[in-house]
Amino acid sequence: MALTLTCPVCGKRNGYEFRYGGEDKGPRPAEEGMTPSAWCDYVHMNKCTAGVQKEWWFHRDGCGAWFTTYRDTVANLEVDAPEVTE
Amino acid sequence: MAEIRRESPVDFGVRSLETEVRSDWPVALAYDAEGDGPWVVDLSHKTRWDLQDGQVGELTPAGQSVPATPGMSVLADGILINRMNRTQTSIYHLGSDAPDLPDHPGFTDVTEATIFLALFGPHALHIAEKLSNLDLGDPNKEAPFLLQGPFCHVPCQIVTLEKDAEDGTNGAGGFVLTCSRGYAQSMVHAILDAGAEFGLRPAGEQRFAQWLAALSS
Repeated sequence: MALTLTCPVCGKRNGYEFRYGGEDKGPRPAEEGMTPSAWCDYVHMNKCTAGVQKEWWFHRDGCGAWFTTYRDTVANLEVDAPEVTE
Repeated sequence: MAEIRRESPVDFGVRSLETEVRSDWPVALAYDAEGDGPWVVDLSHKTRWDLQDGQVGELTPAGQSVPATPGMSVLADGILINRMNRTQTSIYHLGSDAPDLPDHPGFTDVTEATIFLALFGPHALHIAEKLSNLDLGDPNKEAPFLLQGPFCHVPCQIVTLEKDAEDGTNGAGGFVLTCSRGYAQSMVHAILDAGAEFGLRPAGEQRFAQWLAALSS
C-alpha cells in the first residue's frame, strides 16, 4: 500500500505529491541563553521514532501548503493523532 | 525599435484557419474541421497573474473579491479568480483584454511562464479521467472550483468551469489548466492521444469564447 497523506487544502492525495519536511520538533528555542550545542541539537538531531511521530510535509505538486501530520514510520501509513497520556 | 513576437509553446500540429496578432501573440481564432467536440484550445496568450499576500483574502484584484476558502474559484466579467492556499491566489483573464498589472508588490505576471489550455465539450471530463486521478467532476463541489495536482504526472492548476453540459450530459463539461511552459509539447501530445477515441480536435479562441459566453449567461 502506497503512502497517502491528507493535505488540509486538497484532501487525501498520493504521497508522491508531497515533500517530507522532517520531524516536528516543536517551536524554535528561545535565543536568550542559547548555546551552539543546543542549537545544533535542535537543527540536526532527530528522534527517528519507530512508530507514530509528528512530521512536517509540503504539498509540492499541489497547493504549496506546509502542514503537520502523524505517520506510523514502521507501517509507513498516515495515522490519527495519538491520544495524550499523562 | 525591436519588434516583439511572443510564441505559445503549444503546437497542435495543424495549421489554424484564421489567426490574428494580439499584444504580440499570434492567436488562432479557428481551425479547419473543428467538429462537434470535444475541443482543446490554446489560451496561452490570455493574461494570468499570481498574487501572494498574507492578507490575500482582503484584496480585490481587478475589482473582484478573492474567494475565502482555498480550492474555491469565482468567475465574473471574464475574470477567473482561484484561491490556492492561505496566502496565494491565481487570476486568469479569460476575456479579451487584461488591465495593467497593479502596483501592489504581491502581483506577478506569469503569462509567459506557463501554458494555458481549455478542454471542453462532450466527453471532456472522460478524457481527463484517463490522464489524472483528480476528480474534476467532484459531486461535493460546485463549479467553478480549483484543483491543484498532477495531470499527465505534471503539477497543474486545473479549474473545472462546468461539470456537465446544459442538457445534463454527464462528462460534457469542461475545464482550463495551466502548468509550466516546458511541459507544453508533452502535455498536448498526451491530451490529443487520450482524446483521439472521443474525437478530440483543436479549436480556436472563438470556440472558447462561445463556451465562456454560455457559461456566463
